[in-house]
Amino acid sequence: MAAMSPSERRLQKELMSLMKEPPPGVTVDGEQASQNLTLWTVHMEGVPGTLYEGEKFVLQFKFTNKYPFDSPEVTFIGSNIPVHPHVYSNGHICLSILTDDWSPALSVQSVCLSIVSMLSSCKEKKRPPDNSFYVKTCSKNPKKTKWWYHDDSV
Amino acid sequence: MAETSEAQASASGQAGASGQAGSGSGSEDEKRDERMLECNICLDTARDAVVSMCGHLFCWPCLHQWLETRPSRQVCPVCKAAISRDKVIPLYGRGNTKQEDPRNKVPPRPAGQRTEPENNSGFPGFGFGDGFHMSFGIGAFPFGVFTSTFNFGDPRPSAAPRGTAQYEEEQFLSKIFLWVAILFVLWLIFA
Ligand SMILES: [Zn+2]
Ligand SMILES: [Zn+2]
Repeated sequence: MAAMSPSERRLQKELMSLMKEPPPGVTVDGEQASQNLTLWTVHMEGVPGTLYEGEKFVLQFKFTNKYPFDSPEVTFIGSNIPVHPHVYSNGHICLSILTDDWSPALSVQSVCLSIVSMLSSCKEKKRPPDNSFYVKTCSKNPKKTKWWYHDDSV
Repeated sequence: MAETSEAQASASGQAGASGQAGSGSGSEDEKRDERMLECNICLDTARDAVVSMCGHLFCWPCLHQWLETRPSRQVCPVCKAAISRDKVIPLYGRGNTKQEDPRNKVPPRPAGQRTEPENNSGFPGFGFGDGFHMSFGIGAFPFGVFTSTFNFGDPRPSAAPRGTAQYEEEQFLSKIFLWVAILFVLWLIFA
């Protein structure tokens, strides 16, 4: 096997442990990810007892060769984008650990758990107040957005 | 920002999960022991290991790269405590014969190379603490204006021969303009 870059080595390790011990309701498409370590698809189920019970979502992770120093680009993709005050209808997520509060000790697994807990603590299904404006004007890459983080009441 | 605490909660959740997985047979226990010596950044066994004041273990090259990534906000990747080059302790196992400080292996970063893009607030050189740029920038401005007005529409070659009356006159005029410019700058600064 060819020598792996540090970011590939780390992604490979994360992939192995995520496939072996996935958190409840989270499944990684291992075959696709091992084909291309820089693009992962993660399936997520709404947690029973929350507003998203029974719903299925798809997350996409994109990594640069600076991972884990550089945060992954994480968006919801597919036909079912969760209706949540921090999730735009184009799939972009307003979550501080994905930009300003990213740390190389975080992982795909901890990002997934944060998103699960963000969805689970939601009290009312609605889009962010600036959704239509944001979706029209934003960059394709959510990391280019200078997020102004919503308050944490949700 | 509840997100931060969520992240920490999930990070500890992850630690809990790996802890549970480690219980059982002897080889599983060994695996867990190995995990305890893993770098928190590359997830490999830490090489050139250093430990932070908050007790978190890293390879020095990994931690160094992280400190370089955000030089203005150096925090522990695991717990967000303040961290810096001088506040980590190198770890020497029995295998290390030379006991060289790993921090000396990675060259110190070049001076003055990094500035945070967020700090550019639109008008560089006009803020406080930028006094040099300010006086220089504005000071040069009237010079340019005056000299070009002075030479504008003037058909003769610019520099008159030294010693002639014309040369004297030009020297005199340029001195006047110099003083006008200095006064203008002083007025800008003190007005
Ligand atoms: Zn490391
Ligand atoms: Zn720490």
